[in-house]
Amino acid sequence: MARAVLVLVEHAGGKVDSVTSQLLTAGRQLATQLNGGLVALVIGHQLDGVVGALKISGADKILRVDDPALASAAGEAQGQVIAQVARQIEPRFLLIGYSLVGMELTPAIATLLGINAFTNCVNVEMRDGAVTVTRPLFDGTQHAHIALDESAVIALQKGSFAPLEPSTKEAAVETVAIDSMNLPSRSQVLAIIEEPAGDVDIGKAEIIVSIGRGIGNEDKIPIVAELADALGGVLACSRPVVDVGWLPRERQVGASGKTVTPKVYLACGISGAIQHLTGMRDSHRIIAINKDPNAPIFGVAHIGVVGDLFEIVPALTKAAKEAKSLRD
Amino acid sequence: MNIAVCCKSVPGLVTDLKVGSDGKSLQYQSQLLAINECDEYALEEALVLKKAHGGQVTVISMGGIKSQDVLYYALAKGADKAVRVDCDSHDPRIASTVLAAALKKLEFDLVLTGTQSRDTLGGQVGVAAASLLGLPFAYAVVGIEVRDEKTIIARKELGGGRYADLELQLPALLCVQTGIEPLTFVPPARRIRARQQPVRSFSVGELGLQTEPLAPKGYRILSVRPPERLHQAELLQGSAQEIAAALLTKIRESV
Ligand SMILES: Cc1cc2nc3c(=O)[nH]c(=O)nc-3n(C[C@H](O)[C@H](O)[C@H](O)COP(=O)(O)OP(=O)(O)OC[C@H]3O[C@@H](n4cnc5c(N)ncnc54)[C@H](O)[C@@H]3O)c2cc1C
Ligand SMILES: Nc1ncnc2c1ncn2[C@@H]1O[C@H](COP(=O)(O)O)[C@@H](O)[C@H]1O
Repeated sequence: MARAVLVLVEHAGGKVDSVTSQLLTAGRQLATQLNGGLVALVIGHQLDGVVGALKISGADKILRVDDPALASAAGEAQGQVIAQVARQIEPRFLLIGYSLVGMELTPAIATLLGINAFTNCVNVEMRDGAVTVTRPLFDGTQHAHIALDESAVIALQKGSFAPLEPSTKEAAVETVAIDSMNLPSRSQVLAIIEEPAGDVDIGKAEIIVSIGRGIGNEDKIPIVAELADALGGVLACSRPVVDVGWLPRERQVGASGKTVTPKVYLACGISGAIQHLTGMRDSHRIIAINKDPNAPIFGVAHIGVVGDLFEIVPALTKAAKEAKSLRD
Repeated sequence: MNIAVCCKSVPGLVTDLKVGSDGKSLQYQSQLLAINECDEYALEEALVLKKAHGGQVTVISMGGIKSQDVLYYALAKGADKAVRVDCDSHDPRIASTVLAAALKKLEFDLVLTGTQSRDTLGGQVGVAAASLLGLPFAYAVVGIEVRDEKTIIARKELGGGRYADLELQLPALLCVQTGIEPLTFVPPARRIRARQQPVRSFSVGELGLQTEPLAPKGYRILSVRPPERLHQAELLQGSAQEIAAALLTKIRESV
């Protein structure tokens, strides 16, 4: 019998995350080529809304694991539940979104099932008869293409696939019971916390000038801050700049920071790691200044400058100030 | 509280990254190995916890003889013991199997790893090792609080500025995120002195592992090459002034 492709549904607060529909697109392509079904697995508690939204998502079948024990379950128990279901289905591939949720669960599931996991993937496709994944190495400046000969968990980056068109046919929903008495309870979620708002909401800015590790030194930040001012924009940054304490956390763009979609996003000395791109790739116009022509930021930028930010930024600040004084 | 910290050595400054002649591997001149960024934060956090709660910090690295440098660096930072497992592999299944076997030889209440290695961008080894050892775990941890001898509270990132607070029973494994503590500077003299300290090294055989399960399986690397770009950025060229003028025009059209 042809084996199914299983997609793990990501949801929070009763809403299905947009990555799910993208996974279903990838899953549908694989399922068609492998001649198997496309099954969506959703686990959690009080899932009526989530399951309702999934019915026309394009999956052939929905597996629902809805149990009070899962309301505050942490990664260990979640991983075990998913592995339990996967053992029953024996899917050819399990697709997961490479979000913070997926990052935590993917290795646990793969290890419990004794199969490989491929994380951070930007593509999965049939190539010369083999299912092949593409994943970045070394800050994303190189891509590895890997043919999979056995079942595997594939964790796909958000935005790798377009969302799947809703289906006109409702998928069948199957409730799967789990042995919740024997789930590990050595880790439990106590509370969900939202980051307190800071003094600037970078999410509201029309122009964002963003710095990365390429800034090199805290003393250099005013050079770029001056440009942000001259353009009437706000200063934001990638994670390493916050980690060393040069800018506050509320200025961070990316997977664990803010998602922004300004009219102009000017990235200065940012390589473009996936966790950064996730937070800014939908900006209307992306401009990147980077010394390295292979930096992945050029893969999403509309306009690129391969060069030293300390030459370009001051020149741009000067030009912006001159233009402003002409207008005044 | 005894803490084991997994620290990987990764290429430091790489300036000449090239695809190897086989088209399936990466080559670079940089022979300088450095501690993987988030692993240094994990180590820093372990030292802070040790200061507050006592116990010993053991660093553990899987890698060739060159990765010993990272262990000396960790000892210079304040780790008590260092262990190296002699095995060179980038395969996360192999790395987690080997590290889990090595951890079994140690006494620990808590294992800290980083989130992701810089070279492979895998993000798998920590949670995979926890699953092999049957430990509760959390990924992308930005804060750790010791509640009592048997319980800790960990704050982990959920993305988009959201966090979860978790209660975990010890022993547990946490994958630490960058930025959890400020990094301390290690004076060169201390780094030199640390090289006098012993590093225990194990072969995989000594850990009781057979070589056969330590071979990659189930996949083939077809090629490694610069990314194919779906869309090509318009590249601006010229003097800094010319580029600035062109950029300003583009910015003004956009708003
Ligand atoms: C779970 C998880 C969550 C994460 N969340 C986030 C997040 O929310 N946001 C985020 O940004 N990252 C996040 N990261 C980190 C991410 O993986 C990268 O490490 C980070 O984005 C890299 O930042 P960077 O581009 O500034 O630094 P690097 O990758 O070090 O890049 C620096 C760049 O600067 C260039 N450069 C250097 N000097 C100059 C110069 N003079 N002129 C021009 N260019 C120069 C270099 O060529 C290089 O491309 C997360 C990681 C993990 C594992
Ligand atoms: N060879 C290794 N030696 C020690 N720790 C490792 C090794 N490989 C991975 N790790 C740990 O596992 C984390 C995640 O690694 P990875 O799955 O390779 O991205 C790293 O941050 C390290 O803490």
